[in-house]
Amino acid sequence: MSVVLKGRAISKGYAEGEALVCQQPIGFNFGVNAQNGVITEHNHELQGISVKGKILVFPYGKGSTGGSYVVYQLAKNKTGPKGIINLTTETIIAVGAIIAGIPVIDKIEENPLELIANGDHVKVDADNSTVIIDKFGNAEV
Amino acid sequence: MILTDSEKRMLDGENGEAARTAMEILLAIGKVYDAEKMISVSSAHVAGLSFKSHGVAGMEWAEQMLENGAKVRVPTTLNVVGLDRSKDLGFPREWNKCQSRIEAAYRRMGCYSTSTCVPYYCGFVPRVNEHIAWAESSAVVFTNSVLGACDNREGGPSALASALTGKTPLYGLHLEHNRKGDLMFKVETPLKKLTDYCALGNYVGRLIGNKIPVFEGIKDCSMEDLVYLGASLASSGGIAMFHIAGITPEAQTLGEAFSGNKYDTVTIGNVEIEEGYAKYNTAKDRKVDFVAIGCPHCSLGQVKEIAEHLSGRRVHSDVSFWVHTNVAIKYMAKQLGYVDIIEKAGGEVTQDLCTILGNPEALGFKTLVTNSGKMAFYAPGSNDFGVWFGDIEKCVSAAINGYFQD
Repeated sequence: MSVVLKGRAISKGYAEGEALVCQQPIGFNFGVNAQNGVITEHNHELQGISVKGKILVFPYGKGSTGGSYVVYQLAKNKTGPKGIINLTTETIIAVGAIIAGIPVIDKIEENPLELIANGDHVKVDADNSTVIIDKFGNAEV
Repeated sequence: MILTDSEKRMLDGENGEAARTAMEILLAIGKVYDAEKMISVSSAHVAGLSFKSHGVAGMEWAEQMLENGAKVRVPTTLNVVGLDRSKDLGFPREWNKCQSRIEAAYRRMGCYSTSTCVPYYCGFVPRVNEHIAWAESSAVVFTNSVLGACDNREGGPSALASALTGKTPLYGLHLEHNRKGDLMFKVETPLKKLTDYCALGNYVGRLIGNKIPVFEGIKDCSMEDLVYLGASLASSGGIAMFHIAGITPEAQTLGEAFSGNKYDTVTIGNVEIEEGYAKYNTAKDRKVDFVAIGCPHCSLGQVKEIAEHLSGRRVHSDVSFWVHTNVAIKYMAKQLGYVDIIEKAGGEVTQDLCTILGNPEALGFKTLVTNSGKMAFYAPGSNDFGVWFGDIEKCVSAAINGYFQD
Protein backbone atom coordinates (compact mmCIF):
# COMPACT_ATOMS: atom_id res chain seq x y z
CA MET A 1 0.00 0.00 0.00
CA SER A 2 1.20 3.44 -0.88
CA VAL A 3 1.07 6.68 1.08
CA VAL A 4 1.27 9.90 -0.92
CA LEU A 5 2.29 13.05 0.94
CA LYS A 6 2.93 16.62 -0.09
CA GLY A 7 6.01 18.48 1.09
CA ARG A 8 8.28 21.34 0.15
CA ALA A 9 10.80 20.78 -2.64
CA ILE A 10 14.25 22.01 -1.60
CA SER A 11 16.25 20.58 -4.48
CA LYS A 12 14.55 19.46 -7.68
CA GLY A 13 14.67 16.02 -9.27
CA TYR A 14 13.30 12.51 -8.84
CA ALA A 15 14.72 9.49 -7.07
CA GLU A 16 13.44 6.28 -5.60
CA GLY A 17 14.97 3.61 -3.44
CA GLU A 18 15.21 1.96 -0.08
CA ALA A 19 14.76 4.20 2.96
CA LEU A 20 17.45 4.63 5.59
CA VAL A 21 15.92 6.43 8.57
CA CYS A 22 17.94 8.26 11.19
CA GLN A 23 16.47 10.03 14.22
CA GLN A 24 19.63 12.11 14.81
CA PRO A 25 20.85 15.08 12.78
CA ILE A 26 23.75 14.36 10.40
CA GLY A 27 26.93 16.42 10.03
CA PHE A 28 28.45 15.53 6.67
CA ASN A 29 31.83 17.24 7.05
CA PHE A 30 34.05 14.88 9.11
CA GLY A 31 30.96 12.79 9.77
CA VAL A 32 30.56 10.94 6.46
CA ASN A 33 33.32 9.30 4.38
CA ALA A 34 32.91 10.65 0.83
CA GLN A 35 34.78 7.68 -0.67
CA ASN A 36 32.28 5.05 0.45
CA GLY A 37 29.33 6.91 2.00
CA VAL A 38 29.86 5.42 5.46
CA ILE A 39 28.93 7.51 8.52
CA THR A 40 32.03 7.94 10.67
CA GLU A 41 30.83 10.17 13.51
CA HIS A 42 31.67 8.53 16.82
CA ASN A 43 28.59 7.29 18.72
CA HIS A 44 26.26 8.35 15.90
CA GLU A 45 23.17 6.23 15.47
CA LEU A 46 24.30 5.30 11.94
CA GLN A 47 28.05 4.98 12.66
CA GLY A 48 29.51 2.36 10.29
CA ILE A 49 26.46 2.37 7.99
CA SER A 50 26.58 3.58 4.38
CA VAL A 51 24.14 6.12 2.97
CA LYS A 52 25.04 5.09 -0.60
CA GLY A 53 22.05 4.58 -2.88
CA LYS A 54 19.53 5.17 -0.09
CA ILE A 55 16.67 7.58 0.38
CA LEU A 56 18.11 9.16 3.50
CA VAL A 57 15.53 10.33 6.04
CA PHE A 58 16.84 12.48 8.91
CA PRO A 59 15.74 15.58 10.85
CA TYR A 60 18.24 18.20 9.61
CA GLY A 61 21.93 18.85 9.05
CA LYS A 62 24.30 19.91 11.79
CA GLY A 63 27.91 20.81 12.40
CA SER A 64 30.62 22.04 10.09
CA THR A 65 29.64 24.31 7.22
CA GLY A 66 31.99 22.46 4.84
CA GLY A 67 29.25 19.83 4.68
CA SER A 68 27.85 21.20 1.40
CA TYR A 69 31.04 20.16 -0.40
CA VAL A 70 30.87 16.68 1.12
CA VAL A 71 27.29 16.25 -0.11
CA TYR A 72 28.53 17.33 -3.57
CA GLN A 73 31.48 14.91 -3.38
CA LEU A 74 29.20 12.03 -2.40
CA ALA A 75 27.06 12.66 -5.48
CA LYS A 76 30.06 12.90 -7.83
CA ASN A 77 31.64 9.76 -6.33
CA LYS A 78 28.28 7.95 -6.60
CA THR A 79 28.54 7.12 -2.90
CA GLY A 80 25.77 9.42 -1.71
CA PRO A 81 22.08 9.09 -1.02
CA LYS A 82 19.79 9.07 -4.07
CA GLY A 83 17.35 11.36 -2.33
CA ILE A 84 16.84 13.10 1.01
CA ILE A 85 13.80 13.71 3.20
CA ASN A 86 14.19 16.07 6.17
CA LEU A 87 11.96 17.45 8.86
CA THR A 88 13.44 20.86 8.05
CA THR A 89 16.36 21.25 5.67
CA GLU A 90 18.98 23.85 6.61
CA THR A 91 21.29 25.75 4.26
CA ILE A 92 24.26 23.39 4.35
CA ILE A 93 22.32 20.35 3.15
CA ALA A 94 20.19 22.49 0.80
CA VAL A 95 23.14 24.04 -1.04
CA GLY A 96 25.10 20.79 -1.23
CA ALA A 97 22.08 18.99 -2.68
CA ILE A 98 21.27 21.78 -5.15
CA ILE A 99 24.75 21.85 -6.70
CA ALA A 100 24.94 18.03 -6.55
CA GLY A 101 21.49 17.50 -8.09
CA ILE A 102 20.17 15.33 -5.24
CA PRO A 103 16.38 15.68 -4.85
CA VAL A 104 15.39 16.88 -1.38
CA ILE A 105 11.95 17.36 0.18
CA ASP A 106 11.19 18.62 3.68
CA LYS A 107 8.15 19.61 5.75
CA ILE A 108 5.94 16.78 4.50
CA GLU A 109 2.43 16.49 5.91
CA GLU A 110 3.36 13.81 8.47
CA ASN A 111 6.50 13.17 10.50
CA PRO A 112 8.76 11.18 8.14
CA LEU A 113 10.87 9.93 11.06
CA GLU A 114 7.84 8.12 12.47
CA LEU A 115 6.08 7.20 9.25
CA ILE A 116 8.98 5.80 7.24
CA ALA A 117 10.86 2.69 8.36
CA ASN A 118 14.20 1.30 7.20
CA GLY A 119 13.62 -0.77 4.08
CA ASP A 120 10.46 1.00 2.93
CA HIS A 121 10.53 1.83 -0.77
CA VAL A 122 10.32 5.60 -1.08
CA LYS A 123 9.90 7.89 -4.10
CA VAL A 124 11.14 11.45 -3.73
CA ASP A 125 9.47 13.47 -6.49
CA ALA A 126 10.86 16.92 -5.83
CA ASP A 127 9.63 18.19 -9.20
CA ASN A 128 6.09 17.77 -7.86
CA SER A 129 6.86 18.27 -4.13
CA THR A 130 5.59 14.77 -3.42
CA VAL A 131 6.82 11.79 -1.39
CA ILE A 132 5.37 8.34 -2.10
CA ILE A 133 6.00 5.64 0.50
CA ASP A 134 5.51 1.95 -0.32
CA LYS A 135 5.52 0.19 3.02
CA PHE A 136 7.85 -2.80 2.93
CA GLY A 137 5.93 -5.95 2.02
CA ASN A 138 2.75 -3.88 1.95
CA ALA A 139 2.61 -4.34 5.71
CA GLU A 140 1.06 -2.02 8.26
CA VAL A 141 0.78 1.66 7.48
CA MET B 1 11.05 36.38 -5.01
CA ILE B 2 11.40 39.98 -6.12
CA LEU B 3 14.73 40.64 -7.82
CA THR B 4 16.18 44.03 -8.71
CA ASP B 5 17.14 44.78 -12.31
CA SER B 6 20.81 44.26 -11.58
CA GLU B 7 20.10 40.94 -9.84
CA LYS B 8 18.03 39.86 -12.84
CA ARG B 9 20.87 40.79 -15.18
CA MET B 10 23.24 38.69 -13.10
CA LEU B 11 20.82 35.79 -13.37
CA ASP B 12 20.72 36.30 -17.14
CA GLY B 13 24.49 35.93 -17.29
CA GLU B 14 25.40 39.54 -18.04
CA ASN B 15 28.11 39.42 -15.37
CA GLY B 16 29.48 36.12 -16.54
CA GLU B 17 28.77 32.45 -16.08
CA ALA B 18 30.12 32.17 -12.52
CA ALA B 19 28.00 35.07 -11.26
CA ARG B 20 24.98 33.48 -12.96
CA THR B 21 25.59 30.14 -11.16
CA ALA B 22 26.06 32.04 -7.90
CA MET B 23 22.78 33.92 -8.34
CA GLU B 24 21.00 30.65 -9.19
CA ILE B 25 22.24 29.10 -5.93
CA LEU B 26 21.05 32.13 -3.94
CA LEU B 27 17.70 32.20 -5.72
CA ALA B 28 17.18 28.50 -4.92
CA ILE B 29 17.97 29.13 -1.25
CA GLY B 30 15.70 32.18 -1.23
CA LYS B 31 12.79 30.15 -2.57
CA VAL B 32 13.39 27.41 0.00
CA TYR B 33 13.23 29.89 2.85
CA ASP B 34 10.44 32.05 1.42
CA ALA B 35 12.71 35.09 1.20
CA GLU B 36 10.91 38.07 -0.31
CA LYS B 37 14.09 39.58 -1.75
CA MET B 38 17.87 39.66 -1.76
CA ILE B 39 19.87 41.94 0.53
CA SER B 40 23.44 43.19 0.17
CA VAL B 41 26.19 41.68 2.30
CA SER B 42 29.31 43.60 3.25
CA SER B 43 31.66 40.63 3.49
CA ALA B 44 31.89 36.88 2.98
CA HIS B 45 33.94 34.05 4.46
CA VAL B 46 34.32 30.85 2.45
CA ALA B 47 34.84 27.56 4.32
CA GLY B 48 35.04 23.86 3.61
CA LEU B 49 38.40 24.31 1.87
CA SER B 50 40.14 21.22 3.20
CA PHE B 51 40.81 18.57 0.56
CA LYS B 52 38.84 16.30 2.91
CA SER B 53 35.72 18.41 2.36
CA HIS B 54 36.31 19.38 -1.29
CA GLY B 55 37.73 16.13 -2.62
CA VAL B 56 38.58 16.00 -6.30
CA ALA B 57 34.94 16.80 -7.14
CA GLY B 58 34.88 20.03 -5.13
CA MET B 59 38.35 21.04 -6.35
CA GLU B 60 37.24 20.71 -9.97
CA TRP B 61 34.01 22.59 -9.19
CA ALA B 62 36.02 25.51 -7.75
CA GLU B 63 38.41 25.53 -10.72
CA GLN B 64 35.47 25.49 -13.10
CA MET B 65 33.96 28.48 -11.29
CA LEU B 66 37.28 30.32 -11.65
CA GLU B 67 37.44 29.46 -15.34
CA ASN B 68 33.88 30.75 -15.67
CA GLY B 69 35.03 34.16 -14.48
CA ALA B 70 34.41 33.97 -10.73
CA LYS B 71 35.49 37.23 -9.05
CA VAL B 72 34.49 38.38 -5.57
CA ARG B 73 32.41 41.56 -5.28
CA VAL B 74 32.80 42.06 -1.51
CA PRO B 75 35.78 41.52 0.82
CA THR B 76 36.02 37.76 1.21
CA THR B 77 38.27 35.79 3.54
CA LEU B 78 39.20 32.11 3.31
CA ASN B 79 38.84 29.57 6.06
CA VAL B 80 41.45 27.11 7.30
CA VAL B 81 43.01 24.86 4.66
CA GLY B 82 44.78 21.54 5.11
CA LEU B 83 48.28 22.83 4.50
CA ASP B 84 50.85 25.10 6.22
CA ARG B 85 52.35 27.19 3.43
CA SER B 86 55.37 28.10 5.58
CA LYS B 87 56.69 24.58 6.19
CA ASP B 88 56.47 20.94 5.19
CA LEU B 89 54.75 18.93 7.91
CA GLY B 90 55.17 15.68 6.01
CA PHE B 91 51.66 15.27 4.59
CA PRO B 92 51.47 13.17 1.40
CA ARG B 93 52.62 14.99 -1.75
CA GLU B 94 49.33 14.40 -3.58
CA TRP B 95 47.41 15.89 -0.64
CA ASN B 96 49.61 19.00 -0.63
CA LYS B 97 49.21 19.40 -4.39
CA CYS B 98 45.41 19.20 -4.31
CA GLN B 99 45.21 21.42 -1.24
CA SER B 100 47.33 24.07 -3.00
CA ARG B 101 45.11 23.90 -6.07
CA ILE B 102 42.00 24.50 -3.96
CA GLU B 103 43.56 27.46 -2.13
CA ALA B 104 44.88 28.94 -5.40
CA ALA B 105 41.49 28.73 -7.12
CA TYR B 106 39.78 30.77 -4.39
CA ARG B 107 42.70 33.19 -4.05
CA ARG B 108 42.53 33.87 -7.79
CA MET B 109 38.83 34.69 -7.40
CA GLY B 110 40.05 37.58 -5.23
CA CYS B 111 39.68 36.11 -1.74
CA TYR B 112 42.05 37.06 1.07
CA SER B 113 43.99 33.90 1.72
CA THR B 114 44.15 34.55 5.46
CA SER B 115 43.21 30.87 5.86
CA THR B 116 41.78 31.02 9.34
CA CYS B 117 38.57 30.18 11.18
CA VAL B 118 39.00 33.39 13.24
CA PRO B 119 39.18 36.19 10.64
CA TYR B 120 38.08 38.55 13.44
CA TYR B 121 41.58 38.07 14.93
CA CYS B 122 43.04 39.35 11.62
CA GLY B 123 41.14 42.62 11.30
CA PHE B 124 37.96 41.35 9.64
CA VAL B 125 35.43 42.36 12.28
CA PRO B 126 31.78 42.84 11.26
CA ARG B 127 29.91 45.30 13.43
CA VAL B 128 26.47 45.17 15.06
CA ASN B 129 23.62 44.72 12.53
CA GLU B 130 25.98 44.30 9.60
CA HIS B 131 24.68 41.68 7.14
CA ILE B 132 27.35 39.17 6.16
CA ALA B 133 27.62 35.76 4.48
CA TRP B 134 30.17 33.83 6.48
CA ALA B 135 30.57 30.08 6.55
CA GLU B 136 32.64 28.25 9.23
CA SER B 137 30.26 27.16 11.95
CA SER B 138 32.31 28.64 14.82
CA ALA B 139 32.61 32.00 13.04
CA VAL B 140 28.87 32.08 12.25
CA VAL B 141 27.97 31.64 15.90
CA PHE B 142 30.61 34.15 17.04
CA THR B 143 29.63 36.93 14.61
CA ASN B 144 25.92 36.57 15.42
CA SER B 145 26.21 36.16 19.17
CA VAL B 146 29.23 38.19 20.25
CA LEU B 147 29.55 40.81 17.50
CA GLY B 148 25.84 41.21 16.80
CA ALA B 149 26.29 40.89 13.05
CA CYS B 150 23.62 39.06 11.03
CA ASP B 151 24.70 35.78 9.44
CA ASN B 152 23.11 32.44 8.56
CA ARG B 153 24.88 29.10 8.77
CA GLU B 154 26.24 29.36 5.24
CA GLY B 155 27.62 26.29 3.51
CA GLY B 156 30.91 26.79 1.65
CA PRO B 157 29.28 27.20 -1.81
CA SER B 158 26.52 29.53 -0.56
CA ALA B 159 29.10 31.83 1.07
CA LEU B 160 30.99 31.80 -2.23
CA ALA B 161 27.77 32.62 -4.09
CA SER B 162 27.35 35.67 -1.85
CA ALA B 163 31.00 36.64 -2.35
CA LEU B 164 30.53 36.57 -6.13
CA THR B 165 27.28 38.54 -6.12
CA GLY B 166 27.43 40.64 -2.95
CA LYS B 167 23.94 39.33 -2.09
CA THR B 168 22.13 36.88 0.15
CA PRO B 169 18.42 36.05 0.42
CA LEU B 170 16.65 37.83 3.28
CA TYR B 171 15.78 35.02 5.71
CA GLY B 172 16.80 33.41 8.99
CA LEU B 173 19.08 35.42 11.23
CA HIS B 174 19.01 38.43 8.89
CA LEU B 175 15.52 39.03 10.31
CA GLU B 176 15.36 40.45 13.82
CA HIS B 177 12.43 38.30 14.98
CA ASN B 178 14.42 35.11 14.34
CA ARG B 179 17.26 36.18 16.65
CA LYS B 180 15.42 35.75 19.95
CA GLY B 181 16.16 33.08 22.54
CA ASP B 182 14.25 29.76 22.56
CA LEU B 183 15.44 28.14 25.76
CA MET B 184 17.05 29.32 29.00
CA PHE B 185 20.09 27.68 30.59
CA LYS B 186 20.69 28.73 34.18
CA VAL B 187 24.37 28.10 34.83
CA GLU B 188 24.65 27.39 38.55
CA THR B 189 28.22 26.19 38.63
CA PRO B 190 31.17 28.53 38.09
CA LEU B 191 32.90 28.20 34.71
CA LYS B 192 36.57 28.59 35.56
CA LYS B 193 38.45 27.82 32.40
CA LEU B 194 38.25 27.43 28.63
CA THR B 195 37.44 23.71 28.73
CA ASP B 196 34.47 24.36 31.06
CA TYR B 197 32.96 26.48 28.27
CA CYS B 198 33.58 23.69 25.75
CA ALA B 199 31.91 21.15 28.05
CA LEU B 200 28.91 23.46 28.46
CA GLY B 201 28.69 23.88 24.69
CA ASN B 202 28.91 20.14 24.15
CA TYR B 203 26.12 19.41 26.63
CA VAL B 204 23.79 22.13 25.33
CA GLY B 205 24.53 21.48 21.62
CA ARG B 206 23.60 17.82 21.99
CA LEU B 207 20.44 18.72 23.88
CA ILE B 208 18.89 21.42 21.70
CA GLY B 209 20.12 20.84 18.14
CA ASN B 210 19.48 24.06 16.24
CA LYS B 211 17.67 26.36 18.67
CA ILE B 212 18.95 29.61 20.23
CA PRO B 213 20.05 29.11 23.85
CA VAL B 214 20.14 31.93 26.39
CA PHE B 215 22.63 31.55 29.24
CA GLU B 216 22.20 33.18 32.61
CA GLY B 217 24.82 33.11 35.33
CA ILE B 218 27.96 33.40 33.19
CA LYS B 219 30.30 36.16 34.35
CA ASP B 220 33.77 37.40 33.55
CA CYS B 221 34.28 35.37 30.42
CA SER B 222 37.13 36.13 28.02
CA MET B 223 36.87 36.51 24.25
CA GLU B 224 38.51 33.09 23.90
CA ASP B 225 35.92 31.51 26.23
CA LEU B 226 33.15 32.85 23.98
CA VAL B 227 34.88 31.60 20.81
CA TYR B 228 35.24 28.10 22.28
CA LEU B 229 31.71 28.01 23.72
CA GLY B 230 30.33 28.87 20.28
CA ALA B 231 32.57 26.36 18.49
CA SER B 232 31.40 23.58 20.80
CA LEU B 233 27.71 24.52 20.46
CA ALA B 234 28.07 24.58 16.67
CA SER B 235 29.80 21.20 16.39
CA SER B 236 27.75 18.97 18.69
CA GLY B 237 24.65 20.87 17.51
CA GLY B 238 23.66 23.07 14.57
CA ILE B 239 23.58 26.21 16.65
CA ALA B 240 24.03 29.54 14.87
CA MET B 241 23.51 31.92 17.77
CA PHE B 242 23.43 32.16 21.55
CA HIS B 243 22.83 34.91 24.09
CA ILE B 244 24.45 35.49 27.47
CA ALA B 245 22.41 37.76 29.69
CA GLY B 246 24.34 40.91 30.50
CA ILE B 247 27.22 40.07 28.14
CA THR B 248 26.26 39.63 24.48
CA PRO B 249 24.94 42.70 22.63
CA GLU B 250 21.37 41.54 22.01
CA ALA B 251 20.88 40.31 25.58
CA GLN B 252 21.67 43.16 27.88
CA THR B 253 18.74 41.81 29.92
CA LEU B 254 16.95 38.46 29.91
CA GLY B 255 13.84 40.22 28.66
CA GLU B 256 15.72 41.54 25.64
CA ALA B 257 17.18 38.08 24.90
CA PHE B 258 13.74 36.44 24.72
CA SER B 259 11.72 39.43 23.59
CA GLY B 260 8.38 37.89 24.50
CA ASN B 261 9.22 34.30 23.48
CA LYS B 262 7.90 31.80 26.03
CA TYR B 263 10.68 29.53 27.24
CA ASP B 264 11.58 26.54 29.40
CA THR B 265 14.53 26.61 31.79
CA VAL B 266 17.27 23.99 32.10
CA THR B 267 19.64 24.10 35.06
CA ILE B 268 23.34 23.49 34.46
CA GLY B 269 25.28 22.18 37.44
CA ASN B 270 28.44 20.14 37.93
CA VAL B 271 26.81 16.97 36.64
CA GLU B 272 25.98 18.51 33.26
CA ILE B 273 29.45 20.05 32.87
CA GLU B 274 31.08 16.72 33.76
CA GLU B 275 28.91 14.96 31.19
CA GLY B 276 30.05 17.54 28.62
CA TYR B 277 33.67 16.71 29.47
CA ALA B 278 33.18 12.95 29.49
CA LYS B 279 31.45 12.79 26.10
CA TYR B 280 34.56 14.24 24.42
CA ASN B 281 36.80 11.37 25.59
CA THR B 282 36.98 8.54 23.07
CA ALA B 283 40.54 7.24 23.61
CA LYS B 284 41.36 4.05 25.49
CA ASP B 285 45.14 4.14 25.42
CA ARG B 286 46.66 6.43 28.06
CA LYS B 287 49.88 6.56 26.07
CA VAL B 288 49.59 9.49 23.66
CA ASP B 289 51.56 10.53 20.57
CA PHE B 290 49.87 13.79 19.54
CA VAL B 291 48.88 16.93 21.42
CA ALA B 292 47.15 19.68 19.42
CA ILE B 293 45.79 23.03 20.54
CA GLY B 294 44.06 25.76 18.58
CA CYS B 295 40.62 24.85 17.23
CA PRO B 296 39.42 27.51 16.61
CA HIS B 297 42.85 29.02 15.92
CA CYS B 298 44.73 30.36 18.96
CA SER B 299 44.63 34.02 19.86
CA LEU B 300 47.92 35.74 20.68
CA GLY B 301 47.02 35.36 24.36
CA GLN B 302 46.56 31.61 23.98
CA VAL B 303 49.94 31.23 22.22
CA LYS B 304 51.55 33.22 25.05
CA GLU B 305 49.88 30.98 27.63
CA ILE B 306 51.24 27.84 25.94
CA ALA B 307 54.73 29.37 25.74
CA GLU B 308 54.61 30.09 29.47
CA HIS B 309 53.65 26.49 30.21
CA LEU B 310 56.38 25.08 27.97
CA SER B 311 59.17 27.47 28.91
CA GLY B 312 62.24 25.51 30.00
CA ARG B 313 60.51 22.13 29.50
CA ARG B 314 60.85 19.47 26.83
CA VAL B 315 58.13 17.67 24.85
CA HIS B 316 58.44 13.85 25.11
CA SER B 317 60.32 12.27 22.19
CA ASP B 318 57.31 10.09 21.27
CA VAL B 319 54.92 13.07 21.16
CA SER B 320 54.26 15.75 18.53
CA PHE B 321 52.91 18.99 19.98
CA TRP B 322 51.18 21.33 17.51
CA VAL B 323 49.77 24.78 18.19
CA HIS B 324 47.38 25.93 15.45
CA THR B 325 46.96 29.57 14.55
CA ASN B 326 46.97 31.87 11.52
CA VAL B 327 49.70 33.83 9.77
CA ALA B 328 48.83 37.11 11.52
CA ILE B 329 48.93 35.73 15.07
CA LYS B 330 51.96 33.59 14.28
CA TYR B 331 53.88 36.60 12.98
CA MET B 332 53.12 38.56 16.15
CA ALA B 333 53.95 35.57 18.37
CA LYS B 334 57.24 35.16 16.53
CA GLN B 335 58.12 38.82 17.04
CA LEU B 336 57.27 38.58 20.73
CA GLY B 337 59.39 35.46 21.27
CA TYR B 338 56.58 32.97 22.04
CA VAL B 339 57.16 30.87 18.91
CA ASP B 340 60.85 30.42 19.79
CA ILE B 341 59.99 29.22 23.31
CA ILE B 342 57.48 26.68 21.95
CA GLU B 343 59.90 25.46 19.26
CA LYS B 344 62.77 25.23 21.73
CA ALA B 345 60.61 22.95 23.88
CA GLY B 346 60.01 20.72 20.85
CA GLY B 347 56.59 22.04 19.77
CA GLU B 348 55.42 23.38 16.41
CA VAL B 349 53.42 26.53 15.77
CA THR B 350 51.48 26.00 12.54
CA GLN B 351 49.69 28.52 10.35
CA ASP B 352 46.77 28.19 7.88
CA LEU B 353 45.82 24.65 8.92
CA CYS B 354 44.41 22.65 11.83
CA THR B 355 44.31 19.03 12.91
CA ILE B 356 40.83 18.15 11.69
CA LEU B 357 41.20 19.89 8.30
CA GLY B 358 44.80 18.79 7.78
CA ASN B 359 46.17 15.29 7.42
CA PRO B 360 48.17 14.48 10.58
CA GLU B 361 46.79 10.94 10.52
CA ALA B 362 49.10 10.37 7.54
CA LEU B 363 52.00 10.75 10.00
CA GLY B 364 50.76 7.73 11.93
CA PHE B 365 49.46 9.39 15.11
CA LYS B 366 46.85 7.39 17.01
CA THR B 367 45.93 9.18 20.23
CA LEU B 368 45.27 12.91 20.52
CA VAL B 369 45.10 15.17 23.55
CA THR B 370 43.43 18.57 23.14
CA ASN B 371 41.76 21.34 25.12
CA SER B 372 39.43 22.11 22.19
CA GLY B 373 35.92 20.76 22.34
CA LYS B 374 35.45 21.21 18.60
CA MET B 375 38.63 19.29 17.80
CA ALA B 376 37.73 16.57 20.31
CA PHE B 377 34.31 16.24 18.66
CA TYR B 378 35.55 15.97 15.06
CA ALA B 379 38.94 14.22 15.34
CA PRO B 380 37.51 10.69 15.77
CA GLY B 381 35.50 11.02 12.52
CA SER B 382 37.97 13.17 10.58
CA ASN B 383 41.34 11.76 11.67
CA ASP B 384 40.38 8.41 13.21
CA PHE B 385 42.16 9.44 16.43
CA GLY B 386 41.21 8.41 19.93
CA VAL B 387 40.83 11.62 21.94
CA TRP B 388 41.54 12.73 25.50
CA PHE B 389 39.99 16.08 26.36
CA GLY B 390 41.63 18.13 29.10
CA ASP B 391 42.60 21.64 30.10
CA ILE B 392 45.85 23.33 29.09
CA GLU B 393 47.74 21.92 32.10
CA LYS B 394 46.70 18.39 31.20
CA CYS B 395 47.63 18.92 27.54
CA VAL B 396 51.09 20.19 28.46
CA SER B 397 51.63 17.46 31.03
CA ALA B 398 50.63 14.80 28.46
CA ALA B 399 53.06 16.35 25.97
CA ILE B 400 55.92 16.25 28.49
CA ASN B 401 55.19 12.78 29.94
CA GLY B 402 53.84 10.95 26.89
CA TYR B 403 50.68 9.80 28.66
CA PHE B 404 47.37 11.36 29.66
CA GLN B 405 46.38 11.62 33.28
CA ASP B 406 42.93 12.73 34.53
